[in-house]
Amino acid sequence: MADQAHAQTTARSPRTAVVIGGNRIPFARSGGAYAYSSNQDMLIAALDGLVARFGLQGERIGEVAAGAVLKHSRDFNLTREAVLGSALSPETPAYDLQQACATGLETVVGLSNKIKLGQIDSGIAGGVDSASDAPIAVSEGLRRVLLDLSRAKTTQQKIRILGTLRPKDLSPNAPGTGEPRTGLSMGEHQAITTAAWQITREAQDELAYRSHHNLAAAYERGFFTDLMTPYRGLVKDANLRPDTSVEKLATLKPVFGKELETPATMTAGNSTPLTDGAAVVLLGSEEYATAHNLPMLANIVDAEAAAVDFVNGEEGLLMAPVHAMPRLLARNGLTFDDFDFFEIHEAFAGTVLGSLAAWEDEDYCKRVLGLDGALGSIDRSKLNVNGSSLAVGHPFAATGGRIVASLAKTLSEQGGRGLISVCAAGGQGVVAILEARN
Amino acid sequence: MSGPIAGGTESGEAESDNTTELDQVPGLPGLYRQALALAARRRMGREDAPSYLPDVQHVVQGVTADRAELTRFQHLLRSAVRDQLPSAYLHTLAFPVAMSVLARPDFPLPLLGMVHLSNEVHQSRQVGASEHLEITARAEDLRAHPAGTQVDLVTEISVDGERVWTGRSVYLARGVRIASGTGTPDAPVRPAFSPPVPTGVWRLDAGTGRRYAAVSGDWNPIHLSRPTAKLLGMKGAIAHGMYLAARMVDRAVPAPSGAIDWRIDFHTPVPLPGTVTTSFRRSDEDGGRIDVVGWSTELRRPHFTGWVHPDRNDPDGPTTA
Repeated sequence: MADQAHAQTTARSPRTAVVIGGNRIPFARSGGAYAYSSNQDMLIAALDGLVARFGLQGERIGEVAAGAVLKHSRDFNLTREAVLGSALSPETPAYDLQQACATGLETVVGLSNKIKLGQIDSGIAGGVDSASDAPIAVSEGLRRVLLDLSRAKTTQQKIRILGTLRPKDLSPNAPGTGEPRTGLSMGEHQAITTAAWQITREAQDELAYRSHHNLAAAYERGFFTDLMTPYRGLVKDANLRPDTSVEKLATLKPVFGKELETPATMTAGNSTPLTDGAAVVLLGSEEYATAHNLPMLANIVDAEAAAVDFVNGEEGLLMAPVHAMPRLLARNGLTFDDFDFFEIHEAFAGTVLGSLAAWEDEDYCKRVLGLDGALGSIDRSKLNVNGSSLAVGHPFAATGGRIVASLAKTLSEQGGRGLISVCAAGGQGVVAILEARN
Repeated sequence: MSGPIAGGTESGEAESDNTTELDQVPGLPGLYRQALALAARRRMGREDAPSYLPDVQHVVQGVTADRAELTRFQHLLRSAVRDQLPSAYLHTLAFPVAMSVLARPDFPLPLLGMVHLSNEVHQSRQVGASEHLEITARAEDLRAHPAGTQVDLVTEISVDGERVWTGRSVYLARGVRIASGTGTPDAPVRPAFSPPVPTGVWRLDAGTGRRYAAVSGDWNPIHLSRPTAKLLGMKGAIAHGMYLAARMVDRAVPAPSGAIDWRIDFHTPVPLPGTVTTSFRRSDEDGGRIDVVGWSTELRRPHFTGWVHPDRNDPDGPTTA
């Protein structure tokens, strides 16, 4: 079955796109080691390490695609500027992409498609985010006044325009994680979903504990040695708590869902903290990797994006990957049983557990996803085996690159097939399949 | 701060043969105060300036960069915040040690008012932000210049006994004639300046000197404001030479990974506020080298010329005597 599916999936592509390797800087907690590093600084730091690891000094890469979710307007060409600040050839083109938390994964999908089509032979995909160095904008009132002032011709007009300024206009706007159309924060949205799927506090804390435990074990066996470059004194993800326990997590007070009728279950322990960091992945055709004597960790097989109507409450904000998954599996003739590793981004423990519950629910899968029955269940021992965002942290656009590089390395060591699922703001999500080379 | 160097026998300094070991990098404001006092004593005839260089080098061990200061320096130059020290930042770290040689009571030229003519640096490898540096500085080759007397200031930075950075700065004491035996050379005939095709422009506002002073520690009044510059006989404030050098090196090679050599010659000071038109171009003779010119389109005169050459891999470099 697996072999037949393999033949099907690879036969469709004009040529194969492979993950050659990845690099990231350790993720820092907001206001921590990277408090004074900008998005461009961190993206360059991640690129520097990748360039050094794979000998890319002066190399013209086919294209570099990356992005940031919290992005200052002056960073309009963030990725191109990072390329110019790196040791890559200045003749390397680059573009910015932004799809909230799916940014990083979508850059991998976009560049791997170009490689498959033969438009480029190599690519660097990734993302960066800083919650510490976030852009702060002037208020809408002040912005209007400043724009009108720049167009005013007479002193009289200027005085009249200044007269419309109100004291409250002088306070700046900091970016939030609130959904523009609902006014609810991401955590408040997830709390609704968590309650709807009756995900318990204990189950969420257990998932958070396993994330820390798995990440600590991965560090212990040196898994990240060739996936990470230290930066500003940080050599490990600052959020990792190797000694945490379910008991300790149980003592934390709920922070989201307190206004719901059901008991609040989401805490700072089973939700991701605001984080700073960057991650990049080197992709290429098989010919490129061979010609440059570079490793091939895994093939990028296929990907699918989805979006849901959360504005009218039809579906939970972070449930789009649940919808993308059956479409991706059907197109590739695969089921959950064909996979050896699952990387489900832990925006919140409730997001992962809600997704698993949905795929196991026969009624939901028939009614909402239009399937004949439940999509299936996922063996927890195959889930996020090297830890995920609850332990690592989640610098929004950097998460996709982190997951792709880690999963590709796992597949190169242990073989098999891997499935990625990343949810994103705006009710969106991207899922993707990676496959070992042998 | 001025005590250890001026006093000569106080704690914080150990003299052996011709090496004076300082226990820390001296502060520039103290050195400037010390130089001012020395200049006053000499003017009043209480102390004579010697006519030869002191046979001494100053050494400071175990110097490390302050990461917060490094970050501010990198941000000001708009270079990436990396864990390695920009080549020009190594100059900034070592600069007070070099200045402490110039501020010695037995140094023949007046520190204040000396003009920075050029800088040439050979760096054999990149230096990490947490490495422990040994900084050595000495003065060499006191010689006549058409407009006065010039001297080389040689600064070396080593890590674990391995020399990683050598800088040679040439300074001119205008109107001072003390170098004996060589006579006064004639002023060289400068070829007419024909500006290259510009590749960029640096628009420097009036605060440029104050901001660079804050990240480099070089609060020389000629860079800070028009009134403070006028106190020292200037028409107005001028940009730090090392600010121009640091920007030049970072623009030419934004991500050095190994050796890097560079040189800058200062021709006309850059007034603040002011605009410098720039040209960065790969050398026709040597593709690895970037040639740089910064000039004033208004005056049709160069402010500075220079080059940056990464990965040359010449272990002794051009600056080693």
